[in-house]
Amino acid sequence: MAHGAGLGLTITRLTRLIRQRRALYYGVRGLVWGLCLAIIAVALRAMIGPWALPLAGALGAGGALLGILYGVLLRVPPVDALGLADRAFDLKDRLATAHDLLGRADRSGLADAAIADAETHAAQVTLGRAVPWRWPRELKILPAPVLALAVLPYLPPIPVPDVSMPSFTPAAEEEKKPEAAGPQQALERPAPKKTEKVERVEMQDRDYQTRPNPESREHTKGDLAAAFKDTNVATKRPDFSSFLKQGDDRIRLLERVDSLPDLQRDFTQSQYKVMFRKSRSLLSGMDPRQMTPEKLRQLLEEMNRMGRRPGSGSGGEGDWGQEMMEGAEALDRGQMDKAMEAMERALQKMRAQDERDRGGKGLQGGKDRGRGRDGERGTGRPGEDEPDFGDGQGSLPGKGTNPGWKGDPTQRLGQNPFDIGVEGQMRKGRRESYDTNMLGKGAQNPSRLPSMSVVTQYRKMMEEALAKEAIPLDYRSQVRDYFQALEDR
Amino acid sequence: MAGERVETFVQSYGRLEQEVHKVIVGHDEIVDQVLVALFAGGHVLLEGVPGLGKTLLVRTLAGCLDLSFSRIQFTPDLMPADIIGTNIIVEDADGRRHFQFERGPVFAHILLADEVNRATPKTQSALLEAMQESSATVAGVTHRLPPPFFVLATQNPIEMEGTYPLPEAQLDRFLFKLRVRYPALEQLNEIIDRTTSVSEPTVQQVMTGSEALAARDLVREVPIAAHVRQFAATLVMATHPQWEEAPDITRRYIRYGASPRAAQALVLGAKVLALRAGRFAVSIDDVKSIALPVLRHRVILNFEGEAEGIDADRLLTEVLEAVDASSREGKEVFLR
Repeated sequence: MAHGAGLGLTITRLTRLIRQRRALYYGVRGLVWGLCLAIIAVALRAMIGPWALPLAGALGAGGALLGILYGVLLRVPPVDALGLADRAFDLKDRLATAHDLLGRADRSGLADAAIADAETHAAQVTLGRAVPWRWPRELKILPAPVLALAVLPYLPPIPVPDVSMPSFTPAAEEEKKPEAAGPQQALERPAPKKTEKVERVEMQDRDYQTRPNPESREHTKGDLAAAFKDTNVATKRPDFSSFLKQGDDRIRLLERVDSLPDLQRDFTQSQYKVMFRKSRSLLSGMDPRQMTPEKLRQLLEEMNRMGRRPGSGSGGEGDWGQEMMEGAEALDRGQMDKAMEAMERALQKMRAQDERDRGGKGLQGGKDRGRGRDGERGTGRPGEDEPDFGDGQGSLPGKGTNPGWKGDPTQRLGQNPFDIGVEGQMRKGRRESYDTNMLGKGAQNPSRLPSMSVVTQYRKMMEEALAKEAIPLDYRSQVRDYFQALEDR
Repeated sequence: MAGERVETFVQSYGRLEQEVHKVIVGHDEIVDQVLVALFAGGHVLLEGVPGLGKTLLVRTLAGCLDLSFSRIQFTPDLMPADIIGTNIIVEDADGRRHFQFERGPVFAHILLADEVNRATPKTQSALLEAMQESSATVAGVTHRLPPPFFVLATQNPIEMEGTYPLPEAQLDRFLFKLRVRYPALEQLNEIIDRTTSVSEPTVQQVMTGSEALAARDLVREVPIAAHVRQFAATLVMATHPQWEEAPDITRRYIRYGASPRAAQALVLGAKVLALRAGRFAVSIDDVKSIALPVLRHRVILNFEGEAEGIDADRLLTEVLEAVDASSREGKEVFLR
């Protein structure tokens, strides 16, 4: 009976050969990757210090050693090792079969013969050829890290950027720190240069201050946005390119003090606007027709309180105390409609007072200086010899020409803050409007347009006019203010 | 001792093959595989157009062996009793009558079932028991067939009209299905020379029946390693589309895979090939070289395979390559 001693020897030799090949195979792989890490260590020697080169050597050697260890310790199945020899020498599975047969207890004569035959064949072959040397793919790139490691030490080290977090400590504290630190640190740290105290000025406003207007010094001092507070030009900060092309409207306004709106006064806080906001807050989204007597009484009391402010004259447009009393009495009698009428009259007076306070800075005020005389000021009526703006173009929604004066727009639009429509006049020319009130005698009904639509259309026209520079520069802001006031309603 | 037996087998095999080739020109692979089937104890289905020497091969083989030979020409009107035999009433010397079993042509060592697909399925099935059990049962009495029993059936793949294709159950009983190809030009010239001269070649008996049986016993003694057996089993399983590790081509074109008989046939054929080569154990190459004759009639193509005219040999070659690749995969020492 065959004992398979020769086969066992063959297995041992094959296993040793395979381990050798594997050790080389994985050793080269480990060496390549270790050298790649060594390159990093050498490249960062400025940070690592004098240990960089020994570390690089250790990485390369360690990688190779690890690879060799892995290759040596990897398991080698005997059947696979013998199969390798079978395939290499075309032994028709003699060796692997013999190894399998060796493990069987009840072997036949043919099995023993097969084992003996396998041992004979194994003795006749050179097992070294059975396990070819195999080289890893990483071998192709091995020269690259070797070359890099040979060159890198002669090159200047890579400067390591300071990756510490920037100090957010205020400059004053920074200056104090050296004093607070120990004496040794204070000696090592270079003394900070004494810097001149720099006044903080907004970058984009710095140039503007080079041309101060002595008459408006208090307005131009500091941030221009503060000077134009509550005006629409306050937010119109041009960027650099726009400034180079078109300049800054605020600068131009500052240069024309005579046409400036009254910057001393905050028109957004006018009595009329305060009342309007008060009523809006009271209604809080309700339909104005659903106003309750209590809320109307609150409005009237607020208007009465404003009417007692200093400066509000007695009688005339600035005094709406009479209307307040009528409204309160009507409320006491439960007559809401009369109370509303009284309040409307009071509002009308309030608005007239507001317009008067703004002087010639309203829509019609731009030309009032030339045409408004005495009592005509603020009526908005153009002079005989001066056509109004937009003349010949008509006005939206109609596009036909109508030289006739259409009344004071401010009065027309400001009749009732709760209006939902704008009443206009029937006139000739094309019309893009539509009638909403079709009941009753149509010819006698005034045309009505949704106020928002009208305002939007007019605002669009205004924007186009401003874009085409059809409006003199001095009046642009006033035009914008006017439309802004309409939108606020 | 074992070596001498194997050596004897190799010599006997060589003499037999040489003797057959005295008559049969070419068809080396067919002759070899017929002899492999003979020693493996299986039966062979020869498929080929008429005139290629199928019948001559069988007759020659029978002449080389000291074995009885029968030839049955299958026709549509052939009855099972015509094959197996029947009980007939005979009168003895005393004048008494009794039934006596009259053996049919199946009772022979080598049976040539010529154009087996021309008989009805009923008659074809008469061969089932004989081929598998080496016995025939008539009127409740089982009659053993003389060993070795070796069936070589032929069928014509072209003239399919009026034929009855063999059912899968009967096909599975054939160890190999061999495709007899047309001879090459040189071989055809040799055939003309041998068969048209005054003296036709004759064969001598080079092996007795007992030697053939001893050779069969030796074949079964040949050991097979676990990894080789695993390869054969995997190859058979790879023909089953239901197997989870079956190759894609199997899933695509095969409806039914090979039976366990196929695995037996693979191992037995491989053992004969190992012995013929003078080896004492089976190798994977033996299994691979015998795979096509074993498997080509045991796989049933699905509709897609039939519609695309997939050839079983080409299909099995791809399956074999897939199995071989998967078996070698992982045996790479460096990847372990």
